[in-house]
Amino acid sequence: MSDGDAQQPVRVMVVDDHPMWRDAVERDLAAAGFDVVAVAANGTEALARFPAARPGVVVLDLQIPAPNGVEVTAEVVRLDPSARVLILSASGEQDDVLDAVKAGATGYLVKSASSAELLDAVRRVSRGDTVFTPGLAGLVLGEFRRMLDAPPSDDGSSRLTERETEVLRLVAKGLSYKQIAERLVLSHRTVQNHVQNTLRKLQLHNRVQLTRYAIEQGLDDEDE
Amino acid sequence: MAVQDGMFRAVAVLRVLLLANAVALNVYRRDNFVHPTAGLVLVLVMVAWTFVANWAYADRRRRRPPLLVADLLVAVALIAATPWVKGAGFNATLPGYWVMGALLAWAIHWRLVGGTVAACALVAADLLSRQEMNQTNYGNVFLLLLGGVVVGYLVDLLQRMAVARDVAEREAAVAGERARLARAVHDGVLQVLALVQRRGGEPGGDAELGRLAGEQEQALRALIRQQDALQVPTDEDGEVDLGPVLEALGLLRSPRVSVATPGTPVPLPAQSAGEVEAVVRACLHNVEVHVGDDAPAWVLLEDLGDRVVVSVRDEGPGIADGRLAAAEAEGRLGVSGSIRGRVADLGGTAELITGAFGTEWELTFPRDPER
Repeated sequence: MSDGDAQQPVRVMVVDDHPMWRDAVERDLAAAGFDVVAVAANGTEALARFPAARPGVVVLDLQIPAPNGVEVTAEVVRLDPSARVLILSASGEQDDVLDAVKAGATGYLVKSASSAELLDAVRRVSRGDTVFTPGLAGLVLGEFRRMLDAPPSDDGSSRLTERETEVLRLVAKGLSYKQIAERLVLSHRTVQNHVQNTLRKLQLHNRVQLTRYAIEQGLDDEDE
Repeated sequence: MAVQDGMFRAVAVLRVLLLANAVALNVYRRDNFVHPTAGLVLVLVMVAWTFVANWAYADRRRRRPPLLVADLLVAVALIAATPWVKGAGFNATLPGYWVMGALLAWAIHWRLVGGTVAACALVAADLLSRQEMNQTNYGNVFLLLLGGVVVGYLVDLLQRMAVARDVAEREAAVAGERARLARAVHDGVLQVLALVQRRGGEPGGDAELGRLAGEQEQALRALIRQQDALQVPTDEDGEVDLGPVLEALGLLRSPRVSVATPGTPVPLPAQSAGEVEAVVRACLHNVEVHVGDDAPAWVLLEDLGDRVVVSVRDEGPGIADGRLAAAEAEGRLGVSGSIRGRVADLGGTAELITGAFGTEWELTFPRDPER
C-alpha cells in the first residue's frame, strides 16, 4: 500500500497554520504531480479531514494550534498505520521533533530546505523510506544512550546494534545514505533498513513505555 | 499581609492557651484574693476580651489602631488592678502571661516599634504596681521586653522577605510569559524567512533577497539557541552545557556548519568546554582554508558518559598523504599538529580520517573520573 502504484499519484495532506506556507507547499506538490487531497490549518481540522481524505503522506508543521503536531502524528498513525508523516518544522531540531518521531513520523525536514528537497522527501517518505537530518540523527543517538542509562526493558527495543549505531552516527555527521553505503561497503537498501530499524525501535520503545506507564497508573483496564 | 494573617491566626491560638493558663492559676490561687468577687469579675473580663480580641483580629479590616490600643489597655488595666484585688504584697499579676497576646499583636502590627512600645507599657504597669522587685519579677519583665523587640524585628524581616519573594515570583512569571510569546513570534518569523528564502530559490525569484532571508533565519536561530543556553548558565560546579556552545558554531557564515547534539545537556567544566570549542573552531577554520568559504561542514557531539566525542567532517579533497609529515619535517606545527596538541592537553585523543571523500576529525575528551 505504501509503495503504491507507480501510475497513481501520491495522495498528500498539508497541515500548516501559515496560509502562505500551506499554499506554497501545496503549489509545489501539485506542480510536481502529487495529489493534494486535503489541507488543514490546525490539529483539529487535520484529524477531522484525515479519515475522509485518506492521504498516503501527511506533510505536517509541528507548531500548529492544538492538538499539536506530535499529537496529530500519533493519531494519524493510529488511524491508518500505512500513512506516513513528514514533519516540516521552522524552529529546528528540538525535543518536539524527537517526540514526533517517537510518535510515528518517518521523515523530518527544516522549512528552510529547498522545494526540490521537500519534493524528494515526500517521494521518499511515501515509498516507506525515512528522511533524517543530521541534527535529528544526533537527537536519536542521544535518546538511545539515555535509554541505556534507564532501567533495561529487556525487549531489545532500547538497544541499537553496533551496525545501527555506526550508520546513525554517519547520518548525524551529514553523510547521505549513498555515501554511507560506499563507506561501509553495504547496499543502499541495507543502509536504509538500518535507519528504519532505529526508528522502529524508538517507536516501539515509546509504545512500551506508554503501556507500562498506563499499567502503573492503573489506566489499563485489562490489567484489573 | 499574608504574613500578618498567618501570625494573627497563630496568636489567636496562643491567646486561648494563655487564657487557660491564667484562669487555672487564678483558680488555684483563689485564696490569695483580697476581693474575691472583684477578682472573679476581672477574670471574666479577661475571658471575654480573649474571645472578643480573637474575633476582632481575625478580619484584616478590623485590625485598626483603636483595637490594638484597647487590647493593650485591657492588659495594662488588669495588671494595674492586681494590687487592689490581691493586696499590695501580691506575687503574680492577675493576667500573668496572658498579656503576651496584646504584646504580640502590637509586635505583628507595628513591628519593631510596636513590640517595643507595648513591652515598655506592660513592663511599666508591672513595675509600678509592685511594692518590691525580686529576681523572678525582673526575669519576667526582661523577657517581656526582649520578646516584644525580637518578635517585632522578626515580623519586619518576614514581611520584607515575603515582599522580595512576591517580586521574584512575579518577575519569573513575566519572564516565562515573555519567553512563551517570544517563541511564538520567533517561530512565525522563522517561517516567513524560510518562505522568502524558498521563493528566492525558485525560477524568477529574487535570489539576493532569498540569501539575505537565509542569513537572518540562521542568525535568529542562533539567537534562540543562545537564549536557551543562557537559561541554563554555569551551575554551581562551574560546568556548562557543551551543546549550545557548539550549536552556536552553526552561526558561522563560513564554512556552513550543521551541528548535531544529543538534545540533553552535556555538562563539562567551563574551561574544558571553552577549549573544546576552540579546537572545533580550529578544525572548521581548516575547512574554510582548504575546502572553501562556502563548503559545508558537520559537527556531531556525543556524550558517552565517561567521555565526550566531537566529530568534525567536511567533504573537501582530504589531506594528501605525507602533507602532515612534510609540514612537521619543515618544522611547521601545522593545523593538524596544533589540533592534536590541544586535544592532548585536555587528556584526549584526536583521530584523523582523510581521503578523497573528505576529512573527518574524531576528537575524544575523557570526563574527569571524579565527577
